[in-house]
Amino acid sequence: MPGWIEEILYDLGAAWAIARKDMKIYYLKPSILVSSLLFPFVMFLAFAIGRDTTPEILLPGLLAITLLFSATSIGPVSIPIERRTKTFDRLLSAPISVRAIVLGASLSGAIFASAIGIVATAVGLIVLRIGIIHIVAFCAGIGLTSICFSTMGTLFASYRTENVGEVMSLLNLVRLPLLFISGVFIPIASMPAWGLSIARFSPLTYAHDLIRFAFDETTLFGPVTDVAVLVLTLIIFQVAGALLYQRSRE
Amino acid sequence: MDAIEVIGLTKRFGDTVAVNGINFSVKEGETFGFLGPNGAGKTTTIRMLTGMTRITSGRALIHGHDIVSDTRAAKQLMGIVAEISNVYDELSAWDNVVFAGRLYHLKRVDIQRNARDLLETFELYERRHDLAGSFSKGMKRRLTLAMGLVNRPKVLFLDEPTSGLDVQSRRIIRDVIQDLARKNVTVFLTTHDIEEANVTCDRVAIINRGVIAGIDAPEKLKQTIESLQSVEVSFDAVRPGVVEVLRALPQASGITKEGDKFRIYTADPPEILASLCALAQEQNLRPISITTRGPSLEEVFVRLTGLSIDTAKEEGETDAGLD
Repeated sequence: MPGWIEEILYDLGAAWAIARKDMKIYYLKPSILVSSLLFPFVMFLAFAIGRDTTPEILLPGLLAITLLFSATSIGPVSIPIERRTKTFDRLLSAPISVRAIVLGASLSGAIFASAIGIVATAVGLIVLRIGIIHIVAFCAGIGLTSICFSTMGTLFASYRTENVGEVMSLLNLVRLPLLFISGVFIPIASMPAWGLSIARFSPLTYAHDLIRFAFDETTLFGPVTDVAVLVLTLIIFQVAGALLYQRSRE
Repeated sequence: MDAIEVIGLTKRFGDTVAVNGINFSVKEGETFGFLGPNGAGKTTTIRMLTGMTRITSGRALIHGHDIVSDTRAAKQLMGIVAEISNVYDELSAWDNVVFAGRLYHLKRVDIQRNARDLLETFELYERRHDLAGSFSKGMKRRLTLAMGLVNRPKVLFLDEPTSGLDVQSRRIIRDVIQDLARKNVTVFLTTHDIEEANVTCDRVAIINRGVIAGIDAPEKLKQTIESLQSVEVSFDAVRPGVVEVLRALPQASGITKEGDKFRIYTADPPEILASLCALAQEQNLRPISITTRGPSLEEVFVRLTGLSIDTAKEEGETDAGLD
C-alpha cells in the first residue's frame, strides 16, 4: 500500500477514535440530548407563531438554524476544556496529524447535528404534513451543513485559550449575523441588492438553499452550486483549522 | 544507536531563550533524569522532544527518527506521561486506555490485551469500569502511566511521575520504572525529587536557565564538586569556641553545625582527618563519631543552579511546570 494512502487511513482511524471519544464524553449526555432536541421546537414556536409561513419555507429555515447551532455547540466548548485539563496535549503528542485532530473534533459535531436534524425533520414531516421531494439533496444538505459548521466551530476553538466564554463570544460574532444574512429569517428574494451580495458569502445561504430545494424544489443557486460551495467551504475550514492548530503548537 | 539524541536544541519565545542549544544523548535502556528548577527549560525540552512544541533550531532524534521530519515514526516509539494526570474524567479507566491505544493505531486485539495487562499492573483492573473522575490522585496518576505505556514504547517520557503521590502509588510507579529498565526501555524523567533521581537514574542532567549545567551519573556528578566533600564529626561534649577551632584547620573550606554534629567542608577529606585527630588530642576533645561524606545530589543541584531545593520545589508546586 502506498505510504500516502496508509497515512490517510491512519489519520481517518485517529479521527474516528477522537469522534467516538467526543460523542461519549460530550454529546451523549442526557442534558445535552434533551436541550438539543428541544432547540428546534423552541425555534418553531418562535418562528411560526403569528407568522403566515408555509411549511415548505418554515421547515428548511428551522433545519438550517438547528444544524448551525447543534454543529457549533460543543466543539468550541470541549476544546478549551481539554486545553485546561491538558487532555488536548494527549492528542498533540500522539502519532497523528493535526488534520486528524481537526477532522475528529468536527466529525463528532457533524454526526450529532445530523442526528438532531433528522429527528427534527421526522417530527416536522409528521406535524406539518409535508414530504421530501429530493432525498439525495436532503441528505447532502444535512450532512454537508453539519460537517461544514462543525468544522467552523472547531476552527474558532483553535484560538489558544482555556476560557470557553472567549471562544463562544467570538463564535457568536459570526454565528448570529449569519442567521440574518442567509435567508433564514428574511427571504433572500426580498433582500435589497447589497443584502444579496452579502448573502452570497455565507455558507448558511447555500445550506438553506439546498435543504429548501429538497422540500419544494425552490432554489436560488441550484443544488450543484450549493453542494460545490459547501464542499469548498468545508475544505477551506478544514485546511485553515489544521494550519491554526499547527501554529498554536508554538 | 542512541535512544534519544539532542543536538543544539533551542527554543525561543520571542526574545526569551527558554532552551539554549543543549546537547545530550540517552542510551537505549538507560534511565535518564532531567533536573532543574522551575523555569529552567525542563518541560519545554520534553515538549520539543515529544513533538508538542515547535523547535526553533537544532535537532532531536528518537532512535534515529527526527522528531520534525519523521514525526510519526518518532512518536510511535514514545510513551508520554505528562506532569498533570491528563485522563478523561468522563470515561472509564478501560475506555481511557483503549482510547490511548487507538491513537497509536494498534490492532483491537493488542489494545485489549495491553489494556488488561496494564490495568492489572497498576492495580486498577478491578475498577476498570469506574469513571476516572471518581479516582484518587494516585489512581489517576497510575492510569496516566498505563495510558502512556499502551503502545509498549521504546522510550518513555515521564514528567514528575511521583510528585505528591501516596505511598502505594509511588511504590507501584517506581516498580514499573525499574521493570521497564530491565526490559531495555529508555526512561527520560524530569523530577523535583532529587533523591528519586539519585536512586532511580543511571545518569542525570541538570538544566538551568536553558543550558545544561552538568550531566553524568549521580555519583560521578557528586565527585566533580570536590569542595562539597565533607567530614562530619561529633564530640562527647560541645564546648564554646569549637566552631572557631575547627574553622582554623588549614584544609577546611567551610563549617556548619547540624545538631550535635559539625560538618567540615574540604577538598581533601583524608588530609583533614589527620589534622582533626591531632586537633582533638591537642584540645582535649573526644570524638564519638567521624564520617566522611560526599555531596548529596541535592547539594550538587543547588551548587549548579544557584537555587535552594526548597525554592525549586515550591515553585514547582505553585506552577504547573510551564517552563
